[in-house]
Amino acid sequence: MPKKVVSIIVFPGSNCDRDLNIAVQKYMNVNTKLVWHDDPSIPNQEMIFIPGGFSFGDYLRSGALATKSPSIKEVIRLSKKGVPIIGICNGFQILTECKLLDGALIDNHKRLFICKESFIKIENKNTSFTQNIKKNVVKFPIAHAQGRFYTSEGNLKSLEDNNQIVFKYSSMNGKTGKSENPNGSINNIAGITNKNKNILGLMPHPERAVEFKENNDGVCFFKGLQNLL
Amino acid sequence: MIYRVYINFKKGILDPEAEAIKKTIDNMGYNTVKRISKGKFFDIEISSSKNTLKDLEKISSDLLSNPIIENFRIIKK
Repeated sequence: MPKKVVSIIVFPGSNCDRDLNIAVQKYMNVNTKLVWHDDPSIPNQEMIFIPGGFSFGDYLRSGALATKSPSIKEVIRLSKKGVPIIGICNGFQILTECKLLDGALIDNHKRLFICKESFIKIENKNTSFTQNIKKNVVKFPIAHAQGRFYTSEGNLKSLEDNNQIVFKYSSMNGKTGKSENPNGSINNIAGITNKNKNILGLMPHPERAVEFKENNDGVCFFKGLQNLL
Repeated sequence: MIYRVYINFKKGILDPEAEAIKKTIDNMGYNTVKRISKGKFFDIEISSSKNTLKDLEKISSDLLSNPIIENFRIIKK
């Protein structure tokens, strides 16, 4: 049987698309198609990734200009049909900017670019994105200047009530206090889904933790996504 | 015709840049400054039509600002 094909949207400024490409091919056992943002059609619609890096220099706000790209219009259309969509880092910012996910990602509370490994608690294992991850806490690299998740109190309650909060910054043991919060995100939120649970956005980079002996926690993330196809 | 669109953070959202500026002003010896709010503006030259304001409002809410975190205000220059 021919391998399935997963699409990765590429923007001017994307810089995690190649890493993601390798991780997806190797650990999801699929082929990939890199789709230039200007392309109004996404031929392979089994699953779509929006990678990290930058888009259009992240002028205005991170991810804002990308929301008007033809490929994102198509992503929005396909999202309503239930196609699984994952945005990582800048991809998460793009998904919030085009309102496919709640909230906004704004300057880190100390205005520093943070680049380090971070422990991430899997807050909800009952999503198709996370149900196959055995560990309760994984270690993923984070690298962002605008990663502080913000949403209104009302929306936060709705995210909690609908179990949309999937990843939280934590300690090695899963403690999610203030001291484990690297960027000031509300309630340590590092990743959420939409209400229908077919769209996932996360700031950490699982694709940067697949090739190293010291930390390959990203492997279980990508392997776990195979059941979505 | 030129319009100016002002964008600023909604109240209650921590703006670390404005906080740092406020601290520096404090350090300069001014003890009367209570709060700093930082924003940005865009000057937009636009051909006049019956939809000018509607278009500007749509541009402002759909792109120039993010309504979750920001307010916008349009004035004619």
